Amino acid sequence: MRKSVLALILMSALALPASAQRINLDFPGLADRAEEVVDVTLDATMLRLAAKFLSDGKDDREIKEMINGLQGIYVRSYTFDKEGEYDRGLADRVRGQLGANWKPLVTVRSRKRENVNIMADVQGDRINGLVIIAAEPREFTVVNIVGYIDVERLSRLEGEFGIPRFSSKDGKDE
Amino acid sequence: MSLEHDLKHALRRESPPTGFASRVLRRIEREGLPSHAGRGVRQGRRRWLRAAAASLTLTALLGGWAAHGIHERRQAEGERAREQVLLALRIAGEKVRYAQHEVRDISR
Repeated sequence: MRKSVLALILMSALALPASAQRINLDFPGLADRAEEVVDVTLDATMLRLAAKFLSDGKDDREIKEMINGLQGIYVRSYTFDKEGEYDRGLADRVRGQLGANWKPLVTVRSRKRENVNIMADVQGDRINGLVIIAAEPREFTVVNIVGYIDVERLSRLEGEFGIPRFSSKDGKDE
Repeated sequence: MSLEHDLKHALRRESPPTGFASRVLRRIEREGLPSHAGRGVRQGRRRWLRAAAASLTLTALLGGWAAHGIHERRQAEGERAREQVLLALRIAGEKVRYAQHEVRDISR
């Protein structure tokens, strides 16, 4: 009985950081105004299932290794057909949910282009969660990755493993 | 001695009375009970076996079909999850790379 109680307390303590890293990504009414919506909700179970469908080839193996330590990936991306369709304060609302252990990794502010905030839940020398907020005049994107993540590896993924390469705004591929 | 005599007398060969065979045959024809009852039981058994075999086949077919459906659904879910992982990592990677690019531009 005592062992069960201890196990329960331990499990709750372990589960708490994971749930604490997940943020609320509900933006009521935003999807109705958007021209295009991307909604990805992958909890640990779905990530494990996805991993089973990745091959053992080099490309898929990299992705598999990356998602192995994750408890969830959540993406909300809204594209609008004209500017001013969303409240720019949404980014602050997302940031407001992050606790004291969340540190800004990169902040890009641009009047004409994208404002990007990359915040990380840093515990020691490990990043145990990531929030990316990208706000453009006609696009608003939030990515929440829960669990251990290698940011360098994430940036390297682009243009490889069947993941299309990022196109710069002047139309040239990087 | 008398026992032996009695047995011999009881078990002595004796011809059937006249018309015994025809009477037996007539009775079988008329009543037909022993043969019909046996056939009925056999037919009943055969019917039951056929029904059991049919229901087993049907169960196996339905079970196989259901298992195939579950497998197909699981396969589709897995493929969808894989696609979603790739999409999510593409979007995340794109934003991280853009931020890195901007930081590098400023550093130059």
